[in-house]
Amino acid sequence: MTPKRTLLLCILVFLLAAPAAAGSVARTITPQEGGLDITLTVTGIPVGGIVETLPDGCTWMETDHPADRTRVSSGKVAFAVIGEETINYRAQGPQDAAEAFTGTWEDLLTGESGAVGAGGARDPGSGAAPKEAPGFLPAAALAALAVAYRWRCSR
Amino acid sequence: MTRRLLLLACSLCLMAGMAAAVPCDGDGDGTLTAPELATAILDSLDARFMGGTVEAPPSADLQDAAFVHTHWDGRALTITDTSGRTTTLTRPLRRIALFNSDTLDMLRSLGLEPDRVVGVSKYVLEDPVFYPEYQGTANLGSTWSPDYEKAAGIRPDAVILYASISESSCADIEKTLSAIDPEIHFFRFDSYRPAVYADEARTLGLLLGKKEEAERFLTFYENATGTVAEVVDAVPVKDRVPVYLESWNDYKSAGKGSGYDEKIQLAGGRNIFGENPVEYPVVDPEAVISRNPDVIIKIVGAGETAFGGYSDDDRSSFEQVLRAIGDRPVWNQIKAVRDGRVHIIHTDVIGGPDYFIGTAYLAKWFYPDLFGDLDPRAIHQQYLEEFQRLDYDLDEHGTFVYPA
Repeated sequence: MTPKRTLLLCILVFLLAAPAAAGSVARTITPQEGGLDITLTVTGIPVGGIVETLPDGCTWMETDHPADRTRVSSGKVAFAVIGEETINYRAQGPQDAAEAFTGTWEDLLTGESGAVGAGGARDPGSGAAPKEAPGFLPAAALAALAVAYRWRCSR
Repeated sequence: MTRRLLLLACSLCLMAGMAAAVPCDGDGDGTLTAPELATAILDSLDARFMGGTVEAPPSADLQDAAFVHTHWDGRALTITDTSGRTTTLTRPLRRIALFNSDTLDMLRSLGLEPDRVVGVSKYVLEDPVFYPEYQGTANLGSTWSPDYEKAAGIRPDAVILYASISESSCADIEKTLSAIDPEIHFFRFDSYRPAVYADEARTLGLLLGKKEEAERFLTFYENATGTVAEVVDAVPVKDRVPVYLESWNDYKSAGKGSGYDEKIQLAGGRNIFGENPVEYPVVDPEAVISRNPDVIIKIVGAGETAFGGYSDDDRSSFEQVLRAIGDRPVWNQIKAVRDGRVHIIHTDVIGGPDYFIGTAYLAKWFYPDLFGDLDPRAIHQQYLEEFQRLDYDLDEHGTFVYPA
């Protein structure tokens, strides 16, 4: 295999492998009459924690998560994750508040953490900002692939 | 140096005394239940993100609790190592020091995170091609010349030593380090002996939270060893190929019960010195001629034959060794020499945890007609890529067997 082909293959492998490398939590919000249904989809986090911050104007209603794994206080809700892959909860508030939900997650087995809804994870002990913005890794790999392809074609 | 060791010992003793209980086990009954773990997680999140005033567990306790709940069913783990010693752990091992580099290979096969290894033997640091990820790790010296100050200074929670070799040196290391830090757990594993190989992989997998990874590795390993065993088991004992095996020291062979004797048998051969009571006897060249082996195996990679292996791509030294065996006085009358069945093999693929690659080569050399489809090189490449996680192409690098 030529070095150029190896480089292209490496970039492609990196591109495909990156999204599956770490845990993540995605948030889906469905407006309902008088409130919002929120679904958190937990991927690759067998044991961890999630804290959601409800936007101003929203109030907590209920969840299907076990009561002894949920804690609500001052506009925030904490979920203990032990094997669950989906958490549904409901908040009362205006439908245009959907964009204002924020949250953070932690994986207690790997020490990684990240922002809910974002694709990236940050290493234990790093600063407050997630290491990668959503989709950064695939985008960077795609850009590298494009550069490598142009470089190869120009020779 | 003694003063510094004493100071270190005193400070470690002061820090010792952490209760040996499962972390976050709220009712202290010895079992961390899911509700207890959930409470600990919520208390921690509450204190850090929600302004709560409840007493939260330290993050290290919480992470240890998550490990114990996930990998040990929420209970303390009691394991027995290869020396027969039983140890009970209530927390995962996060700072492991290894004087045994063979076990380091096995841990890599199990997917252990390199940052859980805080100290390695000097041999690991002398081999940057095979151990690239450990080159910045603390150098513990060797089993025969340990660096106690370094070993204690890295504050390991576990030290792994050999079970069956260098027993007195390993006992000295254990005695000295446990006097400095009584909290260190000591484990004895070999990771190179076929008889205990699979058991050790399973025990280490359980110990390190790599149970599934251990089973995955053992499926690969048992497929490789099983393929050979299935065929050679059908070869009647009287028809087994007579083999002369010689280590890197000329005329030093393998006697009864030695590791190499066991490997010859696993590959279906009959060791012509297999009845010698000395483990590694120096034999008379005349005795080799009179026993007239069908196959000669010469091991290189140490002593005067310290070449080949992962960091040497030059085969010329292997050729010289092969030629020198044929040139020994009267050895041209030995069947193996006459028939061109003298083979050189590097200790990297026969003497350690990757011995099953070497036995696959031996089997193919002993019974070329029965093992036409067996591809030891492919087993080796898969082992390196999939389990040792090395970017190493055997087509381009390394010298392990000759003729290839």
